Amino acid sequence: MSQVKQHPPASPSALNRRAALKLLGSGLALTLSSCGRPHEEIVPYVEMPEGLVPGVPMKFATTLALAGYGRGALAISVDGRPIKIEGNPRHPASLGATDVFAEAEIMSLYDPDRAKAPRTKDDVVTWDAFAQALFAQMQQEKARHGAGLRIVTGRITSPTLLRQINALLTQYPEARWYSYEPISDDAAFDGSMLAYGRRLAALPRLADAAVVLSLDADPLGAGPRQIADARAFSQRRTRQAQPFLRLYTVEPEWTLTGANSDHRLALHPDLIRNFALAVTAQMQGENAPDLPDPVAHFAKICADDLKANKSKALVLVGRRQPPELHALGHWLNAQLNAPVDFIAPADGNPLGDAQALQTLSRDLDDGRVETLAIVGANPVYDTPADLGLAHKIGKVAFSVHLGLHENETADQCSWRLPMSHTLESWSDLRAFDGTASIVQPLILPLYDSRQAHDLLGLMAGTIAPSAYDLVRQTWQAQRSGGDFDTWWKQTLHDGVVANSAAARVATGAPKRPDVKPAQAARGLSLLLGADPSVWDGRFANNAWLQECPHPFTKEVWGHGIYLSPGDARRLNIADRETIEVWHDSASLRAPARVREGQADGVIAVELGYGRTRAGAIGNGIGVNAYPLRTTASPWLISDVSLRGTGEIRNVPLLQHNFDLEGDGKDLYPVLTLAELAQGKQPPDHDYENRPTLYAKVNYDSYAWAMVIDTSLCIGCNACVVACQAENNVPVIGPEEVAMGRDMHWLRVDRYVPDPERPPGFQPVPCMHCEQAPCEPVCPVAASVHDGEGLNAQVYNRCIGTRFCQSNCPYKVRRFNWFGYADGQEYADLGADSVRASHNPDVTVRGRGVMEKCTYCIQRINRARHHAEIVDQPIPDGAVVTACQAACPTRAITFGNRNSKASAITALRREPHHYALLGHLGTRPRTTYLARLRNPNPAMQEKAQA
Amino acid sequence: MTEVLLAEFPGAAALLETARKARPAGYRPLDAFTPFAVEGLAEAVGARGSHVRVAMFIGGVAIAAMAYATEYFSAVIDYPINSGGRPLNAWPAFMLFPFAVGIFGAAVSGLIALFMHSGLPGLHHAIFAVPGFERVSQDAFLLALDSPRDEAELQRARDWLREAGALAIWEIKT
Amino acid sequence: MSLQAEPPEIERWTEPPGRSYLAISELVAAPLLERRQWRWRAWWIAFGIASGLTLIMAICMSWLFATGVGIFGNNTTIVWGLPIADYVWWIGIGNAGTLISSMLLLMRQRWRASINRFAEAMTLFAATIAGLFPIMHLGRPEYFYWLLPYPNTMVVWPQWRSALIWDFWAISSYILFSILFWYVGLIPDLATLRDRAKTAFPRSFYGALALGWRGSARHWYFYEHYHLTMACLAVPLVVSLHSVVGMDFAASLMPGWQESIFPPYFVVGAMYSGFAMVVLLTALVRWGFNLQPLITAEHFNVMAKIMLAASIIMGLSYLTEWFAAWYHGERAERWLVGFEFTGGYAPVYWCMLLFNCIVPQLFWFVRIRCSIVAVVVIAILINVGMWLERIEIVWNTLSHDFLPSMWRIFIPTFWDWALLFSSLGFFGFLYLLLARIFPMVSMHETRRLIYEESHQ
Repeated sequence: MSQVKQHPPASPSALNRRAALKLLGSGLALTLSSCGRPHEEIVPYVEMPEGLVPGVPMKFATTLALAGYGRGALAISVDGRPIKIEGNPRHPASLGATDVFAEAEIMSLYDPDRAKAPRTKDDVVTWDAFAQALFAQMQQEKARHGAGLRIVTGRITSPTLLRQINALLTQYPEARWYSYEPISDDAAFDGSMLAYGRRLAALPRLADAAVVLSLDADPLGAGPRQIADARAFSQRRTRQAQPFLRLYTVEPEWTLTGANSDHRLALHPDLIRNFALAVTAQMQGENAPDLPDPVAHFAKICADDLKANKSKALVLVGRRQPPELHALGHWLNAQLNAPVDFIAPADGNPLGDAQALQTLSRDLDDGRVETLAIVGANPVYDTPADLGLAHKIGKVAFSVHLGLHENETADQCSWRLPMSHTLESWSDLRAFDGTASIVQPLILPLYDSRQAHDLLGLMAGTIAPSAYDLVRQTWQAQRSGGDFDTWWKQTLHDGVVANSAAARVATGAPKRPDVKPAQAARGLSLLLGADPSVWDGRFANNAWLQECPHPFTKEVWGHGIYLSPGDARRLNIADRETIEVWHDSASLRAPARVREGQADGVIAVELGYGRTRAGAIGNGIGVNAYPLRTTASPWLISDVSLRGTGEIRNVPLLQHNFDLEGDGKDLYPVLTLAELAQGKQPPDHDYENRPTLYAKVNYDSYAWAMVIDTSLCIGCNACVVACQAENNVPVIGPEEVAMGRDMHWLRVDRYVPDPERPPGFQPVPCMHCEQAPCEPVCPVAASVHDGEGLNAQVYNRCIGTRFCQSNCPYKVRRFNWFGYADGQEYADLGADSVRASHNPDVTVRGRGVMEKCTYCIQRINRARHHAEIVDQPIPDGAVVTACQAACPTRAITFGNRNSKASAITALRREPHHYALLGHLGTRPRTTYLARLRNPNPAMQEKAQA
Repeated sequence: MTEVLLAEFPGAAALLETARKARPAGYRPLDAFTPFAVEGLAEAVGARGSHVRVAMFIGGVAIAAMAYATEYFSAVIDYPINSGGRPLNAWPAFMLFPFAVGIFGAAVSGLIALFMHSGLPGLHHAIFAVPGFERVSQDAFLLALDSPRDEAELQRARDWLREAGALAIWEIKT
Repeated sequence: MSLQAEPPEIERWTEPPGRSYLAISELVAAPLLERRQWRWRAWWIAFGIASGLTLIMAICMSWLFATGVGIFGNNTTIVWGLPIADYVWWIGIGNAGTLISSMLLLMRQRWRASINRFAEAMTLFAATIAGLFPIMHLGRPEYFYWLLPYPNTMVVWPQWRSALIWDFWAISSYILFSILFWYVGLIPDLATLRDRAKTAFPRSFYGALALGWRGSARHWYFYEHYHLTMACLAVPLVVSLHSVVGMDFAASLMPGWQESIFPPYFVVGAMYSGFAMVVLLTALVRWGFNLQPLITAEHFNVMAKIMLAASIIMGLSYLTEWFAAWYHGERAERWLVGFEFTGGYAPVYWCMLLFNCIVPQLFWFVRIRCSIVAVVVIAILINVGMWLERIEIVWNTLSHDFLPSMWRIFIPTFWDWALLFSSLGFFGFLYLLLARIFPMVSMHETRRLIYEESHQ
């Protein structure tokens, strides 16, 4: 059992009188009865009667960080317990939507494995004890002007924290602050240096684009900008969009952007620069580097299309591409007069991530580091192996780690301090575009934890003001006149600091970089990337995210090493065969996943797994790819060796079959704009006019219905995790999943309707069929229909015959084979803290009963109550299901199909509207809009030729 | 006080023949005892038509009707629910429950009728006292005649039975 | 179908040593009363094994109820698994007994006399065991009684449209009916045992159960009435029972289940496996109780013919399924047939076809039909094949239905297998006990048989 899982003291023997007293002090025996709202006044997002009404959920605007950038959120709190995260419509990085990471913050907050009290290597201590030790240490530092003081953090955009750090650095002139992100944007910033001579962050405006070429860029993939970019993209991809955006993607492995593009080309990372050069040449009428025919053709067509759409054309370059390619991208965009803005980066990190880490490593080598404070970062785990920080940090005499968990780094530090979760903290953050917003706590710290502000305050040595005061000071200083308290209240309420977005920087014409064509790589290259579920590994102990399926492989609880079918054949590797990949001394052992659409000659693996000190959930899941990483080339390791072991393992998958052979295509209709214009309709378009023997049931009050636009679904899974959080859906663990079981009420099916084209995504909640096959087969009437057309499941009546699921053509029902939430939880998920995350409006299901999507009936009822109070019908848009609220692209619409005016009625009249398996006569209430594509005719001609 | 003349015959055939002849010959056959069912014997000893089947029919139909009534009451009157948009009174689906229990009902009512007719269960009976009667359940074939009152008649009956092939004859008073 | 067994070539269904009323009583009753003429050691060994398996079954059930139905291999897509297949298989076996007694009685198949009794006993136990499986397969087995219509605090009633409700009642009625049918048929023989008993206890025991049967012509008269009518009712009941089992699947909209052929096809399947099991038991009883005089090779010959007919009908049913899938045109139906032959369970499917349709064709040869060993071996294969058919029906459809995204494969767990095999042991346990207490052959019907044989 890993140390992380132990609640201090490490063992009963360690519990002497002294430790026991400290235990009392450190509030370990904390029970959730002590949940409470913070002392300081926090401001609810919607006006509420004085005081808190028991059981009535309140929304508070706050901000959540991903890779240091803020994403606005409205946290729903019931009786002082935050239970759900929703987006903040006023925040530019949220726009009312969320991503998987934001949704999962609830689980992080209640994670039983969180660090609970300050500890030294072998003892539980109090904060006072630490403060004393720190004070002494800082005295020494003062003597040498902080020459031995080093602060290591992740990306920091918090104005307050930056203010504190700068103050500290002036106080200790010799001290140094290093910040880095494992998922680094160095290349992009260096690119802007090359092109503009300044460190700039580019903000492409997808909403203003008509043609976009993505060179291994992934605006739609996970990241701090995902929601904003996805929303902008979706605005250009509806039937009404004028113009309808056309997306070309050139990438070595599948990204969500590639999956959502109209034309995609799988290309070895080294060749992408050649492709870019070919595009440039074609646009400039120069002679291109020689490329294989299809690639050259693709480049030509892209170039023509871009050129034809000047000022509406955009070239995006991914973080994994070298700086000069970014520079070339800037230059091309300048030629195209592309819709892209530039701002000064929001983080105060002058030197890039790589350089920061290298300097730190050098300082450690030279033994210059006496006092090391690591705040929220995990360098022992997530820094390139060639720096060897893992060993060096342990050697520092006085090292402090402040983090949510006692992770790999804490394990090397002399002081391991518990950090408060964002939802327990006062702070402020800037979004990718510089917009600032306040982080306000929803709950008192569950454990004896502090936050970064407090630690820096202690280091500054003064009697530190509380984080609350610090944040207020920061903003008060920037306010000239006006009533600050009113402004403060308003800002807390809105969750955004009004017009704080960074000013657009006027850039001169970019320099055209001198990019040399690359040689086609000889050996096998290994491509690294951020993980869609655990990002860089910081979410590895989050059960919801571990069980959140990979968008493409649908794998959970781990990852594979991806090969192209060509390479698999060449190296004679079978799918799911355990393979070994090594480079120099480092090596990986993981199951191979052979996937179509992966470039030949490159294998890919995601970072963020193989944690050893993550906790009961994350330990030992997947393999750690950081050891193969080098500072010089953080993303692409060339000339790796690979060998199969012949052992085929059963990987936990939530979807096993992706192909739609033959007429299976009808299950996922894809229409081009041209076909739509010719009046082509998807099959099962007029499913409601099919003959039936049954008398029509008329729903005279409300008739709830959902329409899902598959051309807007980018496959980000936000809805899946949102549903899980809202409806207390249990996590069942890898073993159960490997048996073919799962509990997600909402799944996102990925289909490949045409091997030549990118796949598509199809979210599948319960269809709430009007002639539901599940209902007449239930012997005890546990599956029944309500007066508004909802297909309801009566948990306490269900005896678990499972006839309903076997007769459900959509297979959307989920069965509690064990007491997944009822005494037989996975790992430590039965802990009280996890129970605290439950939504009190939703029953926690017991063993042996069937459950499924309810259309968030608790939300319908809340809307009904409000409507009844004012004695009005429920207005359109008053009921927003959890999946709908989460969706960054607004692909999900819910409403009352009885009202002619409702949005849903309009969508159901769309020409590409259809019902899944409508021909079975189930008359589903959940229906779809077919996926629309905007292929370039020129490309078609080639295909025919 | 009745007197019974009990005669054992070598086989079912002889017994049956005698039983048939008895009435014309002026004797009143009361009953016969055989180790297995012999066709026509019952009629010969004057067993009257049975109501077993009538009882089974009535019982079966009654139970089936009750079953359907239960279904109708619960699904249409007492707690009507929309189940997959199907009609409340889904008679084709409602048929099988009445059918199954109806048949069982018929079986039970038939058993009751059988017992009432044949006086079973009745563990004690005078005839068990007859020596060797236990062989009736194995290989003995007995015919019971209402024995004449006066001595001469009785003697004639004995002779008649002997001619008919009786192996042994008893007189029982009950 | 199986009812069209041609009239036997020879008119006599007994061997000389069994052709006297007394001999019959001797043969059948002696083992029970005098413990003579049967294989004690064999019985004890068999009983030991059966008890062991029964214990395992008890363990399985305890673990199941303690841990949850998740111990089986079921998953989100294939929510029904082995227990359902086991249930259909057992209920099929549970059909043959009543079938032989009633249908053959009505068809005037006199040879049934010497085998119907233990066939009926088989029915009782098989049907009872079958009834256990659906309950064990429930998520919350403790509430199975909610299928009963009784006024309850939830004020809800059973949902009568569900095939599971039909099933519940069909099985309950069938089991109770079969008990009556079996017991009434037993009464005259109980009287025989009463009268042959030498010691007090057996006399009073059998005496009480015999209800004072005197073999009076009147008794026989009403008894015949009742028994014959029961036979007439039993036939539709048996047919309806397995039709309902078929409708557990057919009354759905899943590919491969939603087929109008299912009810008759299930009935035939039931008779098929039922007869196979009867053949097995006939051989065992014949050997164990030395009943060669009453159970002749000719009996096996006839039953082999019935199984042959049944196997041909099964083959036709399969053909019909494939044709229907193609003719129906529903994408999922066609996918399914392809999956049956080439998918994850293909080997099982091929084995099933071999055992159910190919192997039994050997019965065309009279030498095979008259070799008891051969008939028994083939009967065993048929029983295996029929179990395979049931599991194929359950998991093929569920593994491969409308949405490819949810296609999955079922992998049975240890508990799946343990429950299946231990249930066989439990059956043996009950059956061996019964064989110790009640006559395995209907004495009065056999007496009548030899009487009629000698007077035709």
